[in-house]
Amino acid sequence: MDEDLETLNARVSAARAETEARGETFYPGPSRVHLAMFPPRERWDDWVEYDATAWPRKDERRFMLVPTTCFNCEAACGLLAYVDRDSLQVRKFEGNPEAPGSRGRNCAKGPATINQVTDPDRILHPLRRAGDRGGGGWVRVSWDEALDDIAARIRAAIVEDRRDEVVYHVGRPGELGFTEEVLAAWGVDGHNSHTNVCSSAARAGFQFWCGQDRPSPDHANADVILLISSHLEAGHYFNPHAQRIMEAKANGAKLIVMDVRLSNTASHATHWLAPWPGSEAAICLAIANHLVQTDTYNRDFVRRWWNWEEYLRAEHPDRETSFDVFREILASLYADYTFEFAAAESGVDVQTLHAVAEAVAGAGTRLSTHNWRSAAAGNEGGWQVARTLFLLNALLGAVAVPGGFYPNGWNMLAPRTPVDPPRPAVWNELHLPLEYPLAMYELSFLLPHFLAEGRGRIDTYFTRVYNPVWTNPDGFSWIEALADPDKIGCHVALTPTWNETAYLADYVLPMGHSSERHDIVSYEQYDGQWIGFRQPVLRAARERMGETVTDTRQTNPGEVWEENEFWIELTWRIDPDGSLGIRRHYEAPGRPGEKMTVDDYYGWVFAHGVPGLPEAAAAQDKTPLEYMRRFGGFEVSRGVGQIHEQAVPDAELDDVHVTAHGRVYSRAPALPVSYSTGASPDPDDQGRRAAGVLVDGVVRRGFPTPSGKLEFWSSTLAAWGWPEHALPGYIRSHVHPERLADGEVPLISTFRLPVQIHTRSANAKWLNELAHTNPLWIHPSHARQLGIATGDLVRVETHAGHYVVKAWVTEGIRPGVVACSHHMGRWKPYGETEGRGSPRQRMQVSDVSVERDGDRWTLADRSPHRPDATHDPDLLRVWWSDIGVHQNMTFPVHPDPISGQHCWHQAVRVRRAEPTDAYGDVVADAARMREIYREWLAKTRGADQVSPTGERRPHWLKRPLRPQRAAWVIPSDRSPAAGGGA
Amino acid sequence: MELLQALAVFAEEPGPTHGRLADLLGLPCAPDPATFSDVFLFNLYPYASVYLGGEGKLGGDARDRVAGFFRALGSVPGPEPDHVTVLLAAYAGLRRTDDHRAAHAATVLLHEHLLSWLPLYLARVQALAPPPYPQWAALVARVMRAEAQRHTQPGLGCTHLRHPPGLADPDADGHDAFVDSLLAPLRSGFVVTGADLVHAARRLGLGLRIGERRFVLNALLAQQPAATLRWLAEHTATTGDAWRPWVDDAPDLARWWVTTAEATRATLLDLALDVDRARLAGAAP
Repeated sequence: MDEDLETLNARVSAARAETEARGETFYPGPSRVHLAMFPPRERWDDWVEYDATAWPRKDERRFMLVPTTCFNCEAACGLLAYVDRDSLQVRKFEGNPEAPGSRGRNCAKGPATINQVTDPDRILHPLRRAGDRGGGGWVRVSWDEALDDIAARIRAAIVEDRRDEVVYHVGRPGELGFTEEVLAAWGVDGHNSHTNVCSSAARAGFQFWCGQDRPSPDHANADVILLISSHLEAGHYFNPHAQRIMEAKANGAKLIVMDVRLSNTASHATHWLAPWPGSEAAICLAIANHLVQTDTYNRDFVRRWWNWEEYLRAEHPDRETSFDVFREILASLYADYTFEFAAAESGVDVQTLHAVAEAVAGAGTRLSTHNWRSAAAGNEGGWQVARTLFLLNALLGAVAVPGGFYPNGWNMLAPRTPVDPPRPAVWNELHLPLEYPLAMYELSFLLPHFLAEGRGRIDTYFTRVYNPVWTNPDGFSWIEALADPDKIGCHVALTPTWNETAYLADYVLPMGHSSERHDIVSYEQYDGQWIGFRQPVLRAARERMGETVTDTRQTNPGEVWEENEFWIELTWRIDPDGSLGIRRHYEAPGRPGEKMTVDDYYGWVFAHGVPGLPEAAAAQDKTPLEYMRRFGGFEVSRGVGQIHEQAVPDAELDDVHVTAHGRVYSRAPALPVSYSTGASPDPDDQGRRAAGVLVDGVVRRGFPTPSGKLEFWSSTLAAWGWPEHALPGYIRSHVHPERLADGEVPLISTFRLPVQIHTRSANAKWLNELAHTNPLWIHPSHARQLGIATGDLVRVETHAGHYVVKAWVTEGIRPGVVACSHHMGRWKPYGETEGRGSPRQRMQVSDVSVERDGDRWTLADRSPHRPDATHDPDLLRVWWSDIGVHQNMTFPVHPDPISGQHCWHQAVRVRRAEPTDAYGDVVADAARMREIYREWLAKTRGADQVSPTGERRPHWLKRPLRPQRAAWVIPSDRSPAAGGGA
Repeated sequence: MELLQALAVFAEEPGPTHGRLADLLGLPCAPDPATFSDVFLFNLYPYASVYLGGEGKLGGDARDRVAGFFRALGSVPGPEPDHVTVLLAAYAGLRRTDDHRAAHAATVLLHEHLLSWLPLYLARVQALAPPPYPQWAALVARVMRAEAQRHTQPGLGCTHLRHPPGLADPDADGHDAFVDSLLAPLRSGFVVTGADLVHAARRLGLGLRIGERRFVLNALLAQQPAATLRWLAEHTATTGDAWRPWVDDAPDLARWWVTTAEATRATLLDLALDVDRARLAGAAP
């Protein structure tokens, strides 16, 4: 380039740099090379669009665009709220291009947030029960009344050392630990999550391998994507993963999907395998065997990173500890898992299995895999599905490399916060009882049974984004527990909308939707770390206009609040004078004695806990908090890469001790890192920290497992009572053909619909219009045997009840298996609305009668779904009347004895409905429910029988709200030495 | 390469950013939408396939070859991969990427899909368009020439030009096929725009019938065939004018286009002579 051109080039480059440094867009588009799907961010203060409803007139509307984060699944996609500058109302939500995970794209659930925000039936004021719990009477109370009452109860529980009686039960967390900090500040082990009806099994399978409990697949760069799930189209992280899977497909990647149903995901697959439910691990092992027998696995990776030395010493002490010996044993370990065996178990033909195995072998290190709920959550032993799936990555070395599997924590930001209370000194056995030392995590869905057995009592019980009556199996047992004030003293439902559980609350406290609350989020969605900010958009808009807002209620509709400010206020009322030592955790940083505000909290986090953010904000003349309020997202790093390969710096190595299999312990503290380190390997007996692992003569960071390596052989499973499952293996499911009675077939109940949210989309008309019912999928050959046609009423009989639903005859499911989505069948008790002024929830909800006759519970539809436009004319546009059946109430609990996961698949009989049956009928037998609970409980091997350490649980395993170490010790009267007591 | 990125965007429909870009690039003014439409929508279509395709139209094999280039790089080609904006921006992007594969790809893109038609195209923009597009075209040409000097042509010739279909034979293929081939630069070696035909009608004193180019050209040929053919022959010189500055920097490409245009010129003059002879023969007693 001649000098003039160089000068010109430099001028344009400088102008671009200067523009972008101001946070503006140099090429705003639209053009063929710079898309303008989004308004350029420098115009977010005053964006003009034509009013679509005024067409063909061109009426201009002026908007302020304010970012927030979607809360309609865990993916935390960025949203941009279009706030009308004239009315200061949110008109619509679109994608936020500044959100690194979602990159401006959304699924249907994001824009449908506007339905939730404008729902005429949403809860706008605090309510207190009037009359019996569940009786349908409510009175409006002030926030002060509610807070004072609840705070007094919690204070009494703390002062009287009844700390186990304070419980926070959460469904979708949607945050990075704010509430766990609150519970820790109160000194209660009160965190109870929904994990065991969701992801426990998958977490267990991954954590036993690598100390991190989720995959972070690099789909976009994979050559082969193997999904045991419907993640492309419906699963966890649907939108961020789907867009990256499609990128890979566009670049020629093969997509392999194992799914009993022809899910939306399966419809995109190169290979769709519809195996018998529960046989997925057998298929994975057959593929693994193929890799081993054909010597197409990554020997060097296996040699360097598997804990084969530890395995040989433990299981083959008579053999030489050499890699050659291990290879020889490995070749024999899975030799029986032939394609023929897998075909017999799964029903998938040998040729297809061979083709899939060849595809996997050809992927090399570019194999991305994923399993979350699906087969892992459906089957007894389902955790081995995740463990055998990861075996394929581990064999190919497709771990923390482009196109492979990254341990999730490395791709998550774990920011420091200004709140750092000590861990609780207590262990709540209602959450993690001795029977389940390896569970991931709390046995939340067994709570009613534990309460019925008298294992404990709850004084103050918060449910938050959680609807156990509807979501959990055996929902009638939840009704029984929640209705009994002797079991649960005060139930506080924190919810923006009515749900089946909230009707059984003492207080219903309205909390904001995604555009009405603060949270920070960071999830593993590619090989990078990012943080997103959820914020009340009208508060942010008013602040942008120069107003001062000190309480989110000032800008939210009605008296709707947000949890952050609620928890801080509640904490102060529990300990108003600070004498309990609780309040101090929520005093403003640098202003002792003053209450912490959300600006204090997030201002501190963004300034001190997010690497690179202060510098990026300063470059735009903003504080870190201003930056996040303005843009909503920040990418901390991209290409995190192979943390395990990193050499441990000398500063972290002092008084080093190296074990026989290379685990390195050090007295020097760890330097701070921005990622989540995962599990917490124990120190050695001298108290040195597990600092790394010796590989090829270098101390490397390794994996957060006891050995520091990938644990092909789990010393934890071997030592804690399950030596027969210490290796990746195949456990025959409770719905394996050998375990089914004559006439029984498996029912798949776990599958999601991509346009629905578990329990919070009933008020989203747009979503309901897309999917609103849940017929029973049944194959034509199966339907012919039963004499059933599409639309016929059928009875589905579980081991403890039955429900009546319509059939959908389809070739999109494996013959001999039936399926019914769990999303539908929302209801409200008839007494809630009978003769009362408030309609409660109307959209997508049936009025039902809930009856109990001894052990027989019934739920019957009293009023077909019908539009009611009393308050909302849009309801007149509801053209559908079939809104599904609530099947989960007929499911007995099936806690997996190792992972604690509720194994969702049911063995059922399907037959034509009786003449007296009606659509939506649900019947359950409480006595059978209890029997089946006890049958599954009997499978466990409790810590009081097997603990090798005298503790309740392996200390290295992850656990929410980890109590202090002393609390892990099994009480002496229940220890193995004392003969146990569970 | 930021300069080229900016020049690429400048070929898009005028928007709020064009004024700022015009200032930065030293162009005399920002374009107005009517000028943009006149230049890029009605006369000088900014797509490689128009100049490198056998039919002289959008799409076809030429666009497929460009799309194949992007696929070979592992990217998904957009719906208009051969638009000048896409090609210039892709080139700028590849040059910004610091690896050997990208550098090689950039050189291929330069000689295969940019220099194979842009010199002729840009020269015509300079000749026909109102400001600021002549200045824009001159600047693009300067950058391209500097790149051509820095990155010489790979050994193989340009695939677009390897097997051109050539000009149709009016006797064997018919009049319509011949006119179509005249309007396809790859076959005739020169560019005839709507504005050129307006100019021809005025110069020859013929009636101008409004329509697409083939219709207009046929109308001229029907009125004064020999004069129109001679005007076309004279117009082939625009190709020589366009490629003259490139003789040293892209000699093979320049030679191909000039040779093709000269062959067309000879054919046109022969045909004009035939018309004259036939007319004289028809006038003989």
